[in-house]
Amino acid sequence: MNALPATLSPTDLVSRVNRDVERSILRARNGIRYLRGTHRPKLGATPKDVVWKRGKAELWRYKGGRVRYGPPVVIVHSLVSRSYILDLRPGNSMVEYLVDAGLDVFMLDWGVPDELDADNDLERYVDWYLPRALAAVRRQTGCDEVTLAGYCLGGVMAALFAAGHDDAPVRNLVLMATPVDFSEMGAMVAMLREGRLDPGDLIDDTGNVPADVLYSGFYMLAPTTEIAQNATLLENLWNDEFVEGFQAMAAWSRDHVPFPGAAFRQVVELLIRENLLMTGSVPLGDRVVRLADARANVLNAMAERDNVVPPPAVEPAMQLVGDPARRHELRLPGGHVTFGTGKSAFKHTMPQLTRWIVEHSDERPDPQERDRLAALGATGIADGL
Amino acid sequence: MSANQPLWLRAVLRAERAVGTRVESAVRTDTYFDVVSRLTRLHGQVNRAAEDLSRRWLHLFNLPAGSDVRRMREQLSRIERRLNLLADEVTEVVP
Repeated sequence: MNALPATLSPTDLVSRVNRDVERSILRARNGIRYLRGTHRPKLGATPKDVVWKRGKAELWRYKGGRVRYGPPVVIVHSLVSRSYILDLRPGNSMVEYLVDAGLDVFMLDWGVPDELDADNDLERYVDWYLPRALAAVRRQTGCDEVTLAGYCLGGVMAALFAAGHDDAPVRNLVLMATPVDFSEMGAMVAMLREGRLDPGDLIDDTGNVPADVLYSGFYMLAPTTEIAQNATLLENLWNDEFVEGFQAMAAWSRDHVPFPGAAFRQVVELLIRENLLMTGSVPLGDRVVRLADARANVLNAMAERDNVVPPPAVEPAMQLVGDPARRHELRLPGGHVTFGTGKSAFKHTMPQLTRWIVEHSDERPDPQERDRLAALGATGIADGL
Repeated sequence: MSANQPLWLRAVLRAERAVGTRVESAVRTDTYFDVVSRLTRLHGQVNRAAEDLSRRWLHLFNLPAGSDVRRMREQLSRIERRLNLLADEVTEVVP
């Protein structure tokens, strides 16, 4: 199908025809599978245990080899999308990468909210769920501290938690594509900010913003991209791995979850209309949370081609969250999903994020080595006696 | 990468960008914002008007309407939420 070079030997020509025939057969096979919806890739496949659960929220602990670094990493996911973006497919998963690097990884997943969750406000997430989930992590691991990593809106909640609790056991705070300046966000946010849309216009009978509305908002950021994506799929339909990756991404990008109404109203009033994160202080419950009060090492990671949370919306965290001497910035190539999947994620995001976390963690001795040292110590004491 | 792409794909991608850039600019204009917000509100008003009309008719024959069922679901959800909160409080006290 590619353009032929000017000179082509008969052997090359035959091999090229063979390849194209082979690819056409594979295209037909994969096309039928794709249309039938069979052979869908398994998403979020890294083995895990549910170690804590309240309401729809679950805390997962991923299984892996030996944990070589502490404290454990707790990922706080956003309220509007599914957490498996960070564990999309084996071999292309942020979670798997962190686990393989020797980190003890937990994921706080909010589940799929329904009318029972319509009253969940930011306080419920920041002051109720998060402290309890982190207490469960500490019970599970015996560690006093955690590395708290928030993705997108999960980063806002993680920052509010780290800054709003004097006793927050957060050694490192990793903000991934976390919006701070909401005046720099996309069209849907602009409509809410300018009052053209009110939260009540988007909240349905269940008291939540339906997943479809959120999907439409994200879709309108680049309405024609799907054409280019489908054309690229057609060209690569012979390639099983490409098709699998495409299906996984397509499934995730359409798989949003309802936004709990009470939290949505607060996000619109406090974060979008008043843009309070930019002042560094946000009223939460009966107090005002000052972002500068976060005592953790802060990593503010952003993707340069992110059209959901563009870099100008993320950058101000460097002036606002935590101690200025302990702030670090990481600029990554790629878009909003580079934190979870894709070639750029594997090449840049995963190694750089992991390196920063490891550099700000402690190495844990091998249990066998520790036992050996302990035995040696005991012998030494006995010898001394 | 693009050098390996067939001509048809390159053409499609170029056309998509040519159109896409304009569409993306269009969906960020005030006119678009106005249209979307008016349509969203109009949709809500039409739904409410239709619901109101059908409720009156159904109530005329002493039949429950969708809005009655919704109100009941809301009440049940409120009770269930309250129960969940109480259950959480009990769990905190007696783990």
